[in-house]
Amino acid sequence: MALDEAIAVARSKNLVPNTLRFFRWKPSAVSIGYFQGMDEEVDTAACDSKGIDYVRRRTGGGAVYHDRDGELTYSMFINLEHRLVSKDFQETYGTLCSGLVSGLRFLGIQAEFKPINDIVVGGKKVSGNAQTRGMNVVHQHGTVLLEVDPSLMFAVLKVPNEKIRDKLIKSVEERVTSLHGLLKREVSFDELKEALVKGFEASFKITLAQGALTEFEEQRAAELKTEKYARRGWNFKR
Amino acid sequence: MFLVSRRNRAEVGKAQYKVEGGKLIKVQLRNEAEKIEYVKITGDFFLHPEELIDELEKTLEGSEINEGVIAGQIKAFIKKHKAVLLGATPEDFAKCIVMAGEKSD
Repeated sequence: MALDEAIAVARSKNLVPNTLRFFRWKPSAVSIGYFQGMDEEVDTAACDSKGIDYVRRRTGGGAVYHDRDGELTYSMFINLEHRLVSKDFQETYGTLCSGLVSGLRFLGIQAEFKPINDIVVGGKKVSGNAQTRGMNVVHQHGTVLLEVDPSLMFAVLKVPNEKIRDKLIKSVEERVTSLHGLLKREVSFDELKEALVKGFEASFKITLAQGALTEFEEQRAAELKTEKYARRGWNFKR
Repeated sequence: MFLVSRRNRAEVGKAQYKVEGGKLIKVQLRNEAEKIEYVKITGDFFLHPEELIDELEKTLEGSEINEGVIAGQIKAFIKKHKAVLLGATPEDFAKCIVMAGEKSD
């Protein structure tokens, strides 16, 4: 999350071009939206005992369990004046998510964008997304599920009471899907990344060029991690 | 020598409201008579600029716990700051705040 903000800063200073980043969470982690309360949403003791991190995002939206092996996360950083960006947040969600929809379709998955910020297949959610703007940059990030483990999700996300845990697990099984669930085969991170790159290029009518993090981004990410994202004051603010 | 009797602090009332086709709003509220003394609004909605949430909560302090009044204040706040709210409306927030008010004190 510190690196995400660092790239946004770098983009705002024109030190880097519009950027698409792919990453995995190492270790697995829970992220909560800007407006959520960590203690309301996350069983931090359970996370501690399982070696799972927890962090508050700079974007709104919900609590997400990011499994190291089960999920690919992307982040996009686009200048506010770009043709893909509209003043209308909802419209921009649709436009930017179209790259993911296109990418998943390259894998043979009939994905569709579902407002406000989801991508679904046959009505089941396979991707959630969140967007913020600042410093003249649109920052949107989101997840694509390769695998889903509802039991583990609700071992780390708070549930109102124990009786409801099984109901919630069942509800996720009905409302959420994954690439493994849809294609009935393993999909590697590389295969998914390649498909998504193709999808973004086709949908956005752009060409993506492989790059590397700059020294500025690495340095700023380290500072943001220490000063913000590793701090209780930020993560437990609400 | 004076004895000062203090009224016990009102309980914090809590409520949750799932917006149809939208997001989940959670409110914690403490009231003083019929007015908001303290309110915290959490949830998985989107508000932009994000930092405005603190100021919105402060703005609502002292407001009458009435759906129409609160919704009107939130709308005015959003207009003043050219803010964007997604996944919930000012009316949804107001409804949840009043629900929490019914549970406090």
